[in-house]
Amino acid sequence: MTIIERRDVPPARTHGPRRWVGQSIRRVEDPKFLRGRGGYIADLVRPGMLHAAVLRSPYPHARIVSIDTTAAEAMPGVYAVVTGAQAAELTDPLPDFGPDPAKHTWRCLAVDKVRYVGEGVVVVVADDRYLAEDALALIEVEYDPLPAVVDPVRALDAGAPLVHEALGANLAYDRTFDFGDVDADFAEADLVVRDRLRWHRSGGQPLETVGAIADFDPSTGQLTAHTNSLSFTSYLFMAAATLRIPANKLDIRQVPAGGSFGSKLFVTKPLVIAGMCSRIVGRPVVFLEDRVDNISNCDHHGSDRVYDVELAVMRDGTLRGLRIDTIDDYGAYIQFGVGHHGNALAQVTGPYTIGSVRYRVRAALTNKNQQGAYRGFGSEVNNWMLEQMVDKAARELRMDPVEIRRRNFIQPAQFPYFIPTGNAYDSGDYEAVLERALELGEYDRWRAEQARAREEGRYLGIGLITAQERSVFSATEFWFWFDEPGAPVTSMPESVTLNVDATGGITATLYSCAFWGNSPETMVAQLVAEEFDCEPHDVSIVYHGSQGGLPATGPGGSRTTVMLAGAVEGASAKIKAKARRAASELLEVDPDDLEWTEGGFQVRGVPDRRKSLGDIAIALHLFKHTFPEDIESGLEESKVFDHPWTTMPSADRSDLGVFYPFMGHACHVPVVEVDVATGEVRILAYAAVHDCGTLVNPRSLAGHIVGGTAQGIGTALYEEFVYDDHGQLVTSSFLDYTIPSAMEVPELRIDHVETPSPYTPHGIKGGGEGGRMMAPAALNVAVNDALAPLGVRVTELPMTPDRLRAAIRAAEGAPPG
Amino acid sequence: MKPPPFRYSAPTTVSDAVALLVEHADDDPRVLAGGQSLVPLMNFRLAQPGHLIDLRRVTGLDTLRLEDDVLVIGAMVRQSTAERSPDVALAAPLLAEALGHVAHPPIRHSGTVVGSIAHADPAAELPAVALAADAEMVATGPGGARRIPAAEFFLGPFTTALEPDEILTEVRFPPFPGGHAFVEFARTHGNFAIVGVAALVALAGGEVTRAAVAVSGMGPTPLRLTAAEEALVGRAPGAAAIEAAVDAGTAGLAPAGDLHAGAETRIDIARACLRRGIEGALARALDRR
Ligand SMILES: Cc1cc2nc3c(=O)[nH]c(=O)nc-3n(C[C@H](O)[C@H](O)[C@H](O)COP(=O)(O)OP(=O)(O)OC[C@H]3O[C@@H](n4cnc5c(N)ncnc54)[C@H](O)[C@@H]3O)c2cc1C
Repeated sequence: MTIIERRDVPPARTHGPRRWVGQSIRRVEDPKFLRGRGGYIADLVRPGMLHAAVLRSPYPHARIVSIDTTAAEAMPGVYAVVTGAQAAELTDPLPDFGPDPAKHTWRCLAVDKVRYVGEGVVVVVADDRYLAEDALALIEVEYDPLPAVVDPVRALDAGAPLVHEALGANLAYDRTFDFGDVDADFAEADLVVRDRLRWHRSGGQPLETVGAIADFDPSTGQLTAHTNSLSFTSYLFMAAATLRIPANKLDIRQVPAGGSFGSKLFVTKPLVIAGMCSRIVGRPVVFLEDRVDNISNCDHHGSDRVYDVELAVMRDGTLRGLRIDTIDDYGAYIQFGVGHHGNALAQVTGPYTIGSVRYRVRAALTNKNQQGAYRGFGSEVNNWMLEQMVDKAARELRMDPVEIRRRNFIQPAQFPYFIPTGNAYDSGDYEAVLERALELGEYDRWRAEQARAREEGRYLGIGLITAQERSVFSATEFWFWFDEPGAPVTSMPESVTLNVDATGGITATLYSCAFWGNSPETMVAQLVAEEFDCEPHDVSIVYHGSQGGLPATGPGGSRTTVMLAGAVEGASAKIKAKARRAASELLEVDPDDLEWTEGGFQVRGVPDRRKSLGDIAIALHLFKHTFPEDIESGLEESKVFDHPWTTMPSADRSDLGVFYPFMGHACHVPVVEVDVATGEVRILAYAAVHDCGTLVNPRSLAGHIVGGTAQGIGTALYEEFVYDDHGQLVTSSFLDYTIPSAMEVPELRIDHVETPSPYTPHGIKGGGEGGRMMAPAALNVAVNDALAPLGVRVTELPMTPDRLRAAIRAAEGAPPG
Repeated sequence: MKPPPFRYSAPTTVSDAVALLVEHADDDPRVLAGGQSLVPLMNFRLAQPGHLIDLRRVTGLDTLRLEDDVLVIGAMVRQSTAERSPDVALAAPLLAEALGHVAHPPIRHSGTVVGSIAHADPAAELPAVALAADAEMVATGPGGARRIPAAEFFLGPFTTALEPDEILTEVRFPPFPGGHAFVEFARTHGNFAIVGVAALVALAGGEVTRAAVAVSGMGPTPLRLTAAEEALVGRAPGAAAIEAAVDAGTAGLAPAGDLHAGAETRIDIARACLRRGIEGALARALDRR
């Protein structure tokens, strides 16, 4: 067992009593969305606005021999027709954090060859989208089809067709990391549990797809763009560079996303297409993906992994070490590098005291749309893999699946706990979550029910899993992969400005994405109300566009609430410091004799000598001469809040440092029935207990858990972007890409355990991705539990009727054993 | 996802509608009913009709009535109207049950029963129901109306015995005194089924006297499973007869596999649906007596 020393732990905070944080309040955002005034891209019509549509490649892999746009250009109502080659003269490659971007150059439209079905080839700008699509139909492209590479394992074979000739192979990344003494743990193990697991790609499905309205003003050189895809706000200068516009001439205005789930994370292609077109035609241009664009060409497909895993265990159930070898199918480009595996490494050993890990990751390039982000960002896949292995270990050891987990839990007294990769877990109480889940999920009753059902020839299964939900990523996870990283950035801040007007009314200004489903306005309103003892719904929230904005990063990695809380806390402290000085002048007492209570400063112990925030604010706004020279008029302060706990990786990368420390946890307990005749899986009951530290708004958190679990159900049973053997995408609409509806998603029973983080404001941890990080694992374990009497173990997601029937047929045909 | 340009007419009589079909014969004219299949196809540009002839304003096409024991459904009767009609529940309960499986309520508010039959999607429920129920199609063309038995109507995927200048003005469902069941298997609720089974059985004197079974999703058209019917008729309603019918009914099936189910799984699912469909119909037939 390897002991990693505790180091660089920030001072622990003490959390005081709370008034608003923890109350279920109505979401501040709701009224505008419920009234249809959310202002989605499709609602925003600019005067003189033109519409763009993109011609998509019908081939998975082909050389572009020639493009004839004459007829399209001649069509009335068409303003511009831009081919990939022309676009490459007007714009630079798209921002790409992947290894060696020059070896897999990514552009807004394909230039010499197309690399997947759906890749953009030509864009047309016309009076409306109908005409634009009519013009697309007039464009003639001559393709020279090339053999496609579809399977990630075969993509790595010598002689496989090359997605990018410049790379010389389809292997974009390959490295093995050793954390702890893996060999010793395996040498000493009583048993090594092995498996090969396959997780196919799916993705977040927003109601409104990605869109951008770009408006270039030739007289100022300014490009103003309204877009629903804006995150990594601090990195917008990269999008400006792609557009060849000075960063201080690009203003991005936030538009609420009709759903993101990660899928809109830094999706800049539509912005670049719209921006390029607006520059050409000198009028506002909207490019709003249609559903086929979004599914086939939005660069947001989720993880697509093959795993070979070994788990070293002792006879008493102690889990010792893990050897993981994974090939991840990144598709045709690799915009975020293998950052998804940083997410996995943040919690690779789960809630368990596993002492060592060997992690090999190979990134394969294939003829598919590339990966982006999807709720979990690759950590949900690790959760699934690990829980499958723990479950298999329990079966092989004939141990109770609850007992094996309990036996390996990190204990509350062990926090902060450093896992072998070097990441820290701040706090937790896994036993408490498990106990509550067993109770809420009526575990014992269902076990009895399962036994009864088996006698009737029915196949019920119970899927208990315990897994982590890391939150608040640090930028280091995007570069610790390389010995000599191109950009070893460490800042991932979030900012808030608070303004108290002359009447004491508070306005909070936010600097990153508008509503992505994660309710930033509600969070900030509640946090501000907590600081100033006001009503959350009285706080006004506005967004500052990117131009001249403070540093911000935006949602991702369940960071928003924690980071906004830090920014609100910091800005509030500055406001209160100034208000205290002002109040001391007004009350003619020493500032230290004042205390903040009930929305104002009062002289300690003298309730009738006080000044409310409103009294102080009006004085600060209007009566300059009441105050000493150095007190400026007005009451406005900002805070740029940086990641509260991140440390650098070691030079040899045997320790990746602390990069995802606020560790949520959950236990999910679904009960399923498998119809063995058809391969259908029905969910009979579902309980979920989460611990993401101090709750801010339990109501909106419950929404996250329900939504995330619904998506996890999709991943487990229904959703897959299917490319056939030739590379053709056969799920390009919702007819074939099946999504669970309210009819497939059961009523969830939800509860929480609260283990406040000692290192964040109020003890908050992120909770935005929880459901999807647990449900695929839980359902897979449940189905395997149901089918265990048949000797069937499913190792591939989604568990479609076809896959389940194939497994059952194989077991029926197999000799008894 | 926008359709190419097309012309549009909204006639008010059947003869005008037929005349428009004839007049614009060179312009790939199409009849528009509820639009729930045609409009998505146009948006994907998979169908590019030059001229749409909207049936919504044609008088007389929204009739839903019983003629003696025969249920007559006019071309513009919406699926949700039929689903809730007491006449349908009484005279064609198989149809009523199947309608609950067609898409989602908002789509059934627009989609028509007859449109679904005319569209002839091999995965659709209503063509299989029409086939099992021996429905009669009334096609109206320039020469007047003619009747086509369901058994001769479905020729292939999205292909029927209708002539290009004919409109399917009504579909007639004869009575079936006995038990019915519609059982299907779909990936998600409201999505097109992988397999659907429409079953009708009648009992007398302790044995099956009549059986009609059709299946969707197992070939280019809905299929009548006459071998299954034969395996049932003349036998006591019980597990042995059902298993014989399942074996006989699925023996000759050779479905093409697709994304949602390979050929083998499709047969597995068809067996399950067939078993459950026949069981359900028998149980209701027993109840009825
Ligand atoms: C999301 C979704 C899910 C669906 N799920 C299902 C499902 O599970 N099962 C299912 O069966 N269907 C499903 N449908 C299709 C739906 O049932 C359609 O309404 C039906 O197939 C066609 O009826 P319609 O009235 O809308 O016809 P239209 O779309 O208007 O027409 C369809 C075709 O039939 C022709 N046509 C229509 N009426 C006539 C007529 N009287 N004479 C001659 N030709 C005619 C048209 O020219 C056209 O070619 C679904 C549709 C959607 C959008």
